[in-house]
Amino acid sequence: MRVRFWGVRGSFPVPGKQTNRYGGNTSCVEVEIDGHAPIVIDAGTGLRQLGKRLVRNEFLDGKGLVHMLVSHTHWDHIQGLPYFSPLYSEGNELQLYARQPGDTHLGAVLAHQNDGPYFPVPLDSLKARVQFNELLEGQQFDIGDVRVRCTRLNHPWIAMAYRLDYGGKSLVYCSDTAPFRDILLEHEFIATPPTVGGPLDTKHAIKLHMMREKLVDLCQGADFLIYDTQFTPVEYESKPHWGHSTPDDAIAIAREAGAKTLCLFHHAPARTDDQQDEIFATYKHLLRDDNLELLCAAEGMVVDLDKGDA
Amino acid sequence: MRVDVWGVRGSIPAPGPTTNRYGGNTPCVSVIDTKGHLCVIDMGTGIVPLGTALLQKSLPVRDDFGAGKGNATVLLSHGHWDHIQGFPFFAPVFIPGTKLSIFGNARTADRVEALLEGQMNPQFSPIYTLKNLGATIRFEGVREHQCFRVSDLEVSSMELPHGETSVLSFQIKEQGKTLIYASDAGYSASGAPDDVVEFYRDADVLIHDSTYTPEEQELRRNRGLSSYLDAAAVAARAGVGKLVLFHYDQDHSDDIVDENVRLCGQELERLGAGRTEVVGAFEGMQIDI
Repeated sequence: MRVRFWGVRGSFPVPGKQTNRYGGNTSCVEVEIDGHAPIVIDAGTGLRQLGKRLVRNEFLDGKGLVHMLVSHTHWDHIQGLPYFSPLYSEGNELQLYARQPGDTHLGAVLAHQNDGPYFPVPLDSLKARVQFNELLEGQQFDIGDVRVRCTRLNHPWIAMAYRLDYGGKSLVYCSDTAPFRDILLEHEFIATPPTVGGPLDTKHAIKLHMMREKLVDLCQGADFLIYDTQFTPVEYESKPHWGHSTPDDAIAIAREAGAKTLCLFHHAPARTDDQQDEIFATYKHLLRDDNLELLCAAEGMVVDLDKGDA
Repeated sequence: MRVDVWGVRGSIPAPGPTTNRYGGNTPCVSVIDTKGHLCVIDMGTGIVPLGTALLQKSLPVRDDFGAGKGNATVLLSHGHWDHIQGFPFFAPVFIPGTKLSIFGNARTADRVEALLEGQMNPQFSPIYTLKNLGATIRFEGVREHQCFRVSDLEVSSMELPHGETSVLSFQIKEQGKTLIYASDAGYSASGAPDDVVEFYRDADVLIHDSTYTPEEQELRRNRGLSSYLDAAAVAARAGVGKLVLFHYDQDHSDDIVDENVRLCGQELERLGAGRTEVVGAFEGMQIDI
């Protein structure tokens, strides 16, 4: 099982010299298994480059199958979908999985992006076959020989974390989420942030505790844990309601779950490469005597779980 | 008027080392008139660095955007993603007191509002609704051939073909000088209609779509975009002073754009329009007209 990063950025794509090394495309990760259809996690702008690579192979002849796990439908996690080349060839198939949105069908939510004033090609007129698979929190299912599990995260309008197990190796994708301590994020709009470390409604506290337990369980012994670490601790103080974590939060989860490698992901749009280097170096130093290995996601980075890269 | 270019890329932002010189952000151009009023054309991701520049006070605008005293006009050519996707990340919209007037390519103000409201829907955006923004926003639907005044600027619109839909081109005049913005223009193979050429006539600066090479255009005419040859042809017919190539294909590297600009210049020479200067728009470009 190999993990390839096509987009590592949060919020919106950020072109420019200052993001050349880590990359400016929004979230998209590919899981490659020899002889298995590609599994893509999230469809940010990084998906466009992946699509260009896929259409050189069986996708060119309309014989391609791709599976896609979507964490949630915020723009930075779906905005690459209309620009995914395999969708424009007859015969290709996309199996898309995401959390059941509640009051509407997943297909209807995603169709909005391709509709009238926004995009010229409606979703239902794409040549490829697109199938929407709605997931419930905690659901377990198989994609070929890959076992997939999911659990919900603490994010506005709710996101899903996914765990993939194959051939004795495991990967968890955990983006986007706030830590599980200062605020419960679901469907309510929160205009003003609560005080970090302040008192919490008991019901909310219980719900957050259970959510965290389930996430730790999902991450149990994972070989590779990709985690939303958009904020530095100082940035988090004023934005706990934005639904993103810090490396400290990610490290705490990784340690509790006994994950082997933690990978920082979903970098803030304003973060320059040099600043990201500094964050990475700081936490690398912090973990110098730790069993937990630390990586920082960059566009083009490939991690082979079978070769012990992670 | 002073023109600043913030985003030049078509379809989708194109980050990476191969777009560093021209830039990978989607369309956004600002026009500042002699009174210091800010007029923004399109809200691709280029509007994000514009927002930063406004808060850093690095532009000669009259209003203090950081203090919630910003007042800007936005002209939207159309509602495709690459022309609106920067809006939720434009810093001044979060500052209470900011005033925005958004003129969009729709028959009614409601439709312009609905376009941006749909972008903020909680399924897609943590903002949930336009009502949660700090800014006060007024919407206007713009019809073809509508003329209106924005501070000291005289603005006229013209509808251009864009595949199965249309876009607005804007003509902006101040003190006898004229700027035309014509992104996403996609004429038929026989070229721009005469009334479009008249709309561009003698403009000092024409910012024009140049998504494709002629070879790509052969295959993609139905998408409703221009090649650099289409841009050269209409610029030559209209006798414009300066042609600014714009809205580059997401897969065109800086080197390809360099070559397209050079070949566009050759084409202008061939058409007997050697007086028309051609340049490739790049992020950070400033033109004083």
